Amino acid sequence: MKVAILLFVSVVLLLIGYLTAISSRDLVRLLISLELMFGSVFLALLPLFSIEGLAAVAFGIAVITIFTSGSELMILIASIIMLDKKTRDVTVDSVTAGGDTA
Amino acid sequence: MTTSLLVIIGFAAILSACGVLFSRDNLYASVCMSITLILIAAAYAVFDIQPVFILITFIFVGAVGAVTVAIAATYRQQPKLSVDKVWIAPALITAASVGYAIYAYVNYGMEVSSNSQEMLMTFTSDYMLLAMFIISLSVLLMMAVVKFVRREGI
Repeated sequence: MKVAILLFVSVVLLLIGYLTAISSRDLVRLLISLELMFGSVFLALLPLFSIEGLAAVAFGIAVITIFTSGSELMILIASIIMLDKKTRDVTVDSVTAGGDTA
Repeated sequence: MTTSLLVIIGFAAILSACGVLFSRDNLYASVCMSITLILIAAAYAVFDIQPVFILITFIFVGAVGAVTVAIAATYRQQPKLSVDKVWIAPALITAASVGYAIYAYVNYGMEVSSNSQEMLMTFTSDYMLLAMFIISLSVLLMMAVVKFVRREGI
């Protein structure tokens, strides 16, 4: 029951993160939705700690996930600031490379 | 007791995540996001996995989340919410497959047996090299960003 609750909440958070990402035209809102998605990943990782002998592995995966996602988000924050300095705009319409509109 | 706590934390996390989705202001959305992440960390605290609770709270929410709130306070734009109806089909397929997976796990219990001290000892002895690599990678990424910012003259 506990695993089902955790997985259910994790999936709902992931779907809300996806919905926020695809419905926003704002890079800051995109950043917030990404952090929400990473939070969902942290929650989905929790049942791994209950498997006998895999707690240290789960902790290692958690540390890697937290540091990697933290670095990625900091780079995204720096990119948003640089984009704003260049274009005076933080909407996704001002991004000309990548995605399906390039 | 643990199940009740998980239900309460999960419900509160979903509510605050809905706040991210429906909030008209980036600042309130980022605050709701921080609350959601703290609630996720609280789920780790329920199972007495204190190291991950501290990592999520201090590094993810404390560092990255705080910067996000600051950025969102600077760019307080009102987003235009518009979702293409094409997304309904893949969302329904995903919800159905995930729903079946959760149904399969509905009777599974969860007991975290190992204590935090033992887990940390095993991690520091077996995964120290890995931790050094990931810290080095993070520092290199940050240095690359700083170099890029300086080159752009911002």
